[in-house]
Amino acid sequence: MTTPARSSVSGHVPPARSARSALSDRQLGVLFLLPFVVVATLFVVYPAAESIRLAFYSKLPFRPRLTFVGLDNFRYLLDDPVFRAAALQAVVWTGASIVLQTVCGVAIALLLNQAVRGIHVFRGLLLFPYMVPTVVIALVWRWMFNPEFGIVNASLRATGLVARDIYWLSDPRWAMVSTILLNVWKFTPFVVICVLARLQSIPPELDEAAQVDGAGAWQRLRYITLPQLRTVLVVVIVFRTIWTFNKFEEIYLLTRGGPGTSTFNLAVYAFEQATANLRLGVAAATGVTMLTFLFAGSVLYLWLLRREDT
Amino acid sequence: MITRRTRRRVRAALVYAGLLSITLVTCFPLLWAALTSLRPTDEMLRVRLLPERVTLAHYRALLAGRPMYFEAGSGYTASTVPAQHFLAWFANSVLVSVATTLISVAVSTLAAYSFTRFRFPGQSLVPYFSLLGYMVPSIVYVFPLFLLIVPLGLADRLPSLVLGYLSITLPFCMWLMWAFLRSVPLEVEEAALIDGASRFQVFRLIVLPLAVPGIIATAIFSFIVCWNDYLIARIFMNSITQLPLTVGVMHFFEGVHVDWGLMMAAAVLMTLPLAGLFMLVQRHLIVGFGAGAVKG
Repeated sequence: MTTPARSSVSGHVPPARSARSALSDRQLGVLFLLPFVVVATLFVVYPAAESIRLAFYSKLPFRPRLTFVGLDNFRYLLDDPVFRAAALQAVVWTGASIVLQTVCGVAIALLLNQAVRGIHVFRGLLLFPYMVPTVVIALVWRWMFNPEFGIVNASLRATGLVARDIYWLSDPRWAMVSTILLNVWKFTPFVVICVLARLQSIPPELDEAAQVDGAGAWQRLRYITLPQLRTVLVVVIVFRTIWTFNKFEEIYLLTRGGPGTSTFNLAVYAFEQATANLRLGVAAATGVTMLTFLFAGSVLYLWLLRREDT
Repeated sequence: MITRRTRRRVRAALVYAGLLSITLVTCFPLLWAALTSLRPTDEMLRVRLLPERVTLAHYRALLAGRPMYFEAGSGYTASTVPAQHFLAWFANSVLVSVATTLISVAVSTLAAYSFTRFRFPGQSLVPYFSLLGYMVPSIVYVFPLFLLIVPLGLADRLPSLVLGYLSITLPFCMWLMWAFLRSVPLEVEEAALIDGASRFQVFRLIVLPLAVPGIIATAIFSFIVCWNDYLIARIFMNSITQLPLTVGVMHFFEGVHVDWGLMMAAAVLMTLPLAGLFMLVQRHLIVGFGAGAVKG
């Protein structure tokens, strides 16, 4: 991850140090860097590299020996209908989550940008879901979406909108909806914060000028505010897509990927391969697939950002 | 201009209505958890907004550690899937999260200072690698890390969790501290150096105090990430007494009979430390969000 300091270390501050200082800038620089290099190498670089290596090996549980199998793990993935379904479900899950998060996020940010009394209290409260542990949300979701005793079905029953109880977590399609709702609830605040920060930096004169010229509220939103949000939305959408695609806990803790494998995404698939089937190599190959996606996303992000800058 | 004033009032009313309904959606799940946790078990299956009688029995069961959660006949004995370990899990979570946060903030602050003040080959790559590092999901790290932990004899022991969590927190603490320290102006430091202060004195007496808001924001984000982790602990830990809260609480679902009151009380207690932190340092959190880096 980092290149350890070599002889070319030099301060770019004038070298007017006193004779008392026991350490030169170079020594101090290296000393400060050392713990980071050691820890990062052992616990970040090594496991990342090892997970890529494992993708080309077969590892039997409880035995230290690795057997080189070339691309067999990847071939296994391509032949596995569960993997293909998981990839498709991950795309659906990510796509739906991102669209909903972005739409809700922008709408809420626009509301929070209004100058009304007590707006700071609302801003604080809306940030909160982001802090709540996923385990807690999963527990609460399982209780709220419980088909018999949950408040969601009880409310739907009371309004008379549905004839039969919805099996939120045991019907494959509704299980997907439940995980999407969880994800949207938890991560919309992220979009809100980023968009709100941008909204507050738009000079109010722009809006006022348009108002003087007779533009209506909708026209001002469409032609003045939304174009200003473009760059921040690109950043937010790319980041959230990468993160959402690779999420594990948000799905596993709510449905365990079920019913059956209907809410598997790639992370849950990798987890099940490693823990239930004890195929570490296949899990690692899935991880490499996810990393490839992540890397492509990052490159896309940098490219878009550069294009936006010019 | 009565029409204009009326219009403004209508507008404000609409804004408040929107804000209130969104706040309701945001807060309702946790509010509902809190209400459920106060409800006696025999009321649990009737859906009412407010409990008819309020009880603290579920909290007492968790905090007093009574091994009475599973009744005879449900097939589970108290020692297999118990509520009485809740306090131990809580302590484990606090210990591991604090230890990881201290280490990763200290290590990344030192390194970020070094990276922003001295020249190294390949220095310009640091932010990119940190960014990449903190986008890598833990499912990729967790199995190689486990294979590393086992020969060290650390499996199923709390220090292994600290090591595992470092792999998530370190890149993103590095990224945040790098961004913060880069924005601390060099002029004061240069003046102090010219006046004869040593590099270390400059770091300790000038840079560190200026970096405190950044350090606090970084520490909070790191704490949240550790406190919320499920995956790493699930793979590394095995003994029921060694679990952090996240993995421990999920064991409540293993019984035939699910005690929702107990579970919601656990959910509330698990959120409290974060809610406390959140209120204390909301200002600093926004600093962190502003720096453009949040793990999510």
